[in-house]
Amino acid sequence: MLPDHAAIYDAAREAASQIACRPIKEGQRLVTSGLIDSLSVLKLISLLEKKLSVSIPPETLQPEDFDDVDLIVETIERVAEPAS
Amino acid sequence: MPFNSLPYLGFLIVAVGVYWLLPPRFRGIFVLLASLAFYASWDVVFVWLPLMVAAVVYVSGRQIQSDVSGAKKWMWTGIVLVLAPLILFKYRSFVVVNLILLAKAMGAQPFSLVAAIAFPVGISFYTFEAIAYLVDVRQRRVTMPKFIDLCLFFMFWPNILSGPIVRARELTPQLNFRKPFEPRFFFEGFDRVIWGLVQKNVIANMLGIWVDRSFSPRAAGSPSTIDGWFLAIAFGLQIYFDFAAYTNMAIGAARLLGVTLPENFRQPYHAATPAEFWSRWHMTLSRWIRDYLFFPLNAKWQGAPVPLYLSLVGVMALVGLWHGAGWNYVLWGCLHGMYLVAYLVFESFKTEHAFLGSRPAAMIWRVLTLVGVSAAWVVFRATTLSKAGAVLTSMFYRFAGGRAFGGEFYVFTFAVVLLCAAEPAILQRLTEMEEEAGADGLSLFRVVGRPIAYLVGLLLFLLFDENRTQFIYSQF
Repeated sequence: MLPDHAAIYDAAREAASQIACRPIKEGQRLVTSGLIDSLSVLKLISLLEKKLSVSIPPETLQPEDFDDVDLIVETIERVAEPAS
Repeated sequence: MPFNSLPYLGFLIVAVGVYWLLPPRFRGIFVLLASLAFYASWDVVFVWLPLMVAAVVYVSGRQIQSDVSGAKKWMWTGIVLVLAPLILFKYRSFVVVNLILLAKAMGAQPFSLVAAIAFPVGISFYTFEAIAYLVDVRQRRVTMPKFIDLCLFFMFWPNILSGPIVRARELTPQLNFRKPFEPRFFFEGFDRVIWGLVQKNVIANMLGIWVDRSFSPRAAGSPSTIDGWFLAIAFGLQIYFDFAAYTNMAIGAARLLGVTLPENFRQPYHAATPAEFWSRWHMTLSRWIRDYLFFPLNAKWQGAPVPLYLSLVGVMALVGLWHGAGWNYVLWGCLHGMYLVAYLVFESFKTEHAFLGSRPAAMIWRVLTLVGVSAAWVVFRATTLSKAGAVLTSMFYRFAGGRAFGGEFYVFTFAVVLLCAAEPAILQRLTEMEEEAGADGLSLFRVVGRPIAYLVGLLLFLLFDENRTQFIYSQF
């Protein structure tokens, strides 16, 4: 089973801040603002997988699916599966 | 009908006028007809090709939506079908010529095939839009519109020739043309169109006169060191102002219809790193490569260093090949790939060595980026690899004195460098002047400054009209 919405939100915000090396505010753009690039998005995915013990299949994703914390949460809830 | 011609300006004014006079329900069909007429003015023989691409996307896209288990198969079928004309028309001669060379090198019997055939304008751009469309439908980011709306998406005249490469989700919702008229559409549109005319006819074409002469196969010998550097810088500025001019005119034409197209440039020569250069240069192509090629590839390998470095060089070689069927373009792409790899390697050592994260190190990267980009432009522009080698040798290795041009070349190139350097400050000031005037308010800038600027811009365009040449990117 996936973690609940609040847990995913907290993990997403923490992981985004860690990758961007600064605190991330609500609604702050990550990819379209140039704060993080596509390679950092890959690192972000891997970090989220570890934090939430989920698997995020990347084939159907684009970097802008991780453009802000709300989008990250929405993406995880849409595509993530519990890690086997 | 090139964008920088009086017939096109006539077409634009009539089309925009009729568009706003028509009731909204007729605007879509009118823009489609105007777009067909515009494309036919370039290429009447191939006007069916973007429509065929639209038909392939329509059929494949509907199948992707309805047949969930076979969605992947339909997506790949669609991609192969839209790529086929690009390969046939753009890369056939490249493949044939290289096959013949390979056969000769291996001592096989010489053979001949018809290599050169006509090249439909805009094919590289609308093919990439079609691939993105199919992937986005498969990823459920967009749904299939009516066929006529899809034709309008691919034929939309402002961006069919050379982009910006748009995504379905940013353009399709705007193509219902329901927006009521706002005066700012005209100001914003004409600002871009007229600045584009000046960029193309005055700046890019003037630089092109010197650059074309020096890079032509008939140009003798190696340039001096100073001339080599000035030529590399002049071509870098020429191609920037040429493509930015086209893009401004495309964005401006769309804006006159109330449509917003994505930006393609953000002062690329102000980039501090090779990676930043690609987030400022041809931004819609970079975005396409990132979303549909680089990210899926590296997501599969989870960003492991060796596949990452190899994929960077490979993807950038493909970017080069996208520009043209020639080894110089492939080499240009590989060079940029290697710059990106070098910067990534540098970044991986940053945490261990304090100096690497210091301001002097950042300054060194800024200079290296400019030097690397300029050197790569020489390879891109040279008609032969030996010509590129001669210019690069003069720039970096065998220093030689002398000047082959009149003073006006050096002064003009230097003035354009200064303009580039001042571009962010100028744009900032113009934005402030707009904001000071408010959304609907009148100001000295709007009532007097803008009409005078339009008049001067049009006069400059007419004055330099004799230098009219094709936009560089319309060949890609």
